[in-house]
Amino acid sequence: MNIVPNRGAKISVKNGFRGTILEFLRNSLEKGCFDGILIPMRVPADDSYAWVLVRDKPFLDNANPIAPIVSVQGAKALTSLTRKGGGNFNVAAIMKPCDIRASIELSKLKQVNLEKITLISYDCPGTLEMSNYIENPEESEKIFGSLLDGDVWDDKFTKPICQICDNFSFPACDLHFALLGTENGSIYLIPGTEKGENILDDLGIEYSEDLSNWEKKVIELIKKKEKQKAEKFELVKPTVEGFDNLLKTFANCIGCHNCQSACPICYCRQCYFDSEVSKPNSDFILLRTSKRGGISFPLDRIMFHTGRMSHMSLSCVSCGVCTDACPVSIPVADIFSYVADKTQRTFEYKAGNSTEEPLPMREYRFDELLEIKELVKDADGQD
Amino acid sequence: MGEVKINNFKPKIVGYLCNWCTYAAADLAGASRLDIKPSINVIRVMCSSRIDQNLILTTFFGGADGILIAGCHPGDCHYDKGNYYARRRYALLKKVLETLKLDPERLQLSWISAAEGKRYATVVNEFTERIRKLGPNPINNNSYF
Ligand code: SF4
Ligand code: SF4
Ligand code: FES
Repeated sequence: MNIVPNRGAKISVKNGFRGTILEFLRNSLEKGCFDGILIPMRVPADDSYAWVLVRDKPFLDNANPIAPIVSVQGAKALTSLTRKGGGNFNVAAIMKPCDIRASIELSKLKQVNLEKITLISYDCPGTLEMSNYIENPEESEKIFGSLLDGDVWDDKFTKPICQICDNFSFPACDLHFALLGTENGSIYLIPGTEKGENILDDLGIEYSEDLSNWEKKVIELIKKKEKQKAEKFELVKPTVEGFDNLLKTFANCIGCHNCQSACPICYCRQCYFDSEVSKPNSDFILLRTSKRGGISFPLDRIMFHTGRMSHMSLSCVSCGVCTDACPVSIPVADIFSYVADKTQRTFEYKAGNSTEEPLPMREYRFDELLEIKELVKDADGQD
Repeated sequence: MGEVKINNFKPKIVGYLCNWCTYAAADLAGASRLDIKPSINVIRVMCSSRIDQNLILTTFFGGADGILIAGCHPGDCHYDKGNYYARRRYALLKKVLETLKLDPERLQLSWISAAEGKRYATVVNEFTERIRKLGPNPINNNSYF
């Protein structure tokens, strides 16, 4: 949670959380607050979800604001929508906190334009693994439904990365649906920005003051997740430390770069690792075998992963789509999340936290990082 | 396979030197006939901020035993602030290498002005010594990598 909000509107729950959110979206579309709504919708084959930009109210009936899986990361959809600028339409995007965090990173990287976008979020119970969902969509929908409506959000069925997510509530969005700690069949709608406040005003929704029950529940869950995260990181650590372990962990990587193409943060039109410059010629490859006696293909898989870590980990939002995208079940997101935690700490940065915090690689201070040890301490002066 | 005895191990070091300062310092050191270990292979770059993390990783996974990035002292960058960005990128990459325990000591950033020929010699010699003690890049002992 970013900042603790002090006001929220009380909304009574009708047709479950999803129905309530949908009703709000219908109203706001009708009242002209938005020209369109970007929302997950189950695909015709029923075994996945897609982002759909809905303009006509009836289409919302097929939408599901709280999808049980992440197929395409929400920020990717927003990139497609706004990469050429904000346009003239007001669009509401109803997205998970990690979608929102990635969108914020991408807006700082100038890949998403948030000017005309209203980011709407909700307390996220986690999502299911894509591969499980595809195997049995109906069963998965049931499992997810009872998780969402359950009293406690346990992590029995959610993805490993969701189990350690302590950013499941109130990202830097315009409006947030507070689902946790609901009492007497009502939830809170909390404005996070002026934009959000204006929308509530337009819709004539009144504010209530007391969010303490929600706050208590959120903090409780954050504590639990933090603990799970620390435990998880302890498990990840030995699998990535040292050449041999790193090799073992990525041993079955087929170099498909799916993790990178699914990653919302990897926005480059042409990745260095897909470019011709990164491909050595045969003489150079043979030269590299001269000392070590051999070399494996595809080349430079560890370099690809370490390169990605040192390019994008500062903006990694631990959304987990890289793991979902990996055909050989490497826990990419656990690893990237672990590394990102370290690199982001180095710069006291938290990816996706706010639109104001500048990207660490975009700024500097004269007298910082002085702990970087110089080899020769004092300049021996001019010769 | 490439087992190299530590004693007669001659490190291969790649030095990415900024054109406007350290490269000139290297020149000066040479012209002044200073004792410099022959371990360093110099690549001239136009600014320390030219060094992308991937360049370092390519060098590293290509088998270099040590990598030296050297540029103008803070405040003296020819392009005003390139070295500040270089320092941040260096810190980021270093953190990744540290987290993965991939011998972060093999990577070094130094500020050496055009006038500091002696400092250049000292940095190269001390870095060479450090790498010699560390031994060969483990990449070079792994036919799978
Ligand atoms: S590296 Fe993985 S977890 Fe991190 S932002 Fe990219 S897809 Fe999400
Ligand atoms: S998706 Fe998996 S197999 Fe493909 S490059 Fe990433 S880690 Fe390797
Ligand atoms: S010009 Fe030397 S570091 Fe920028």
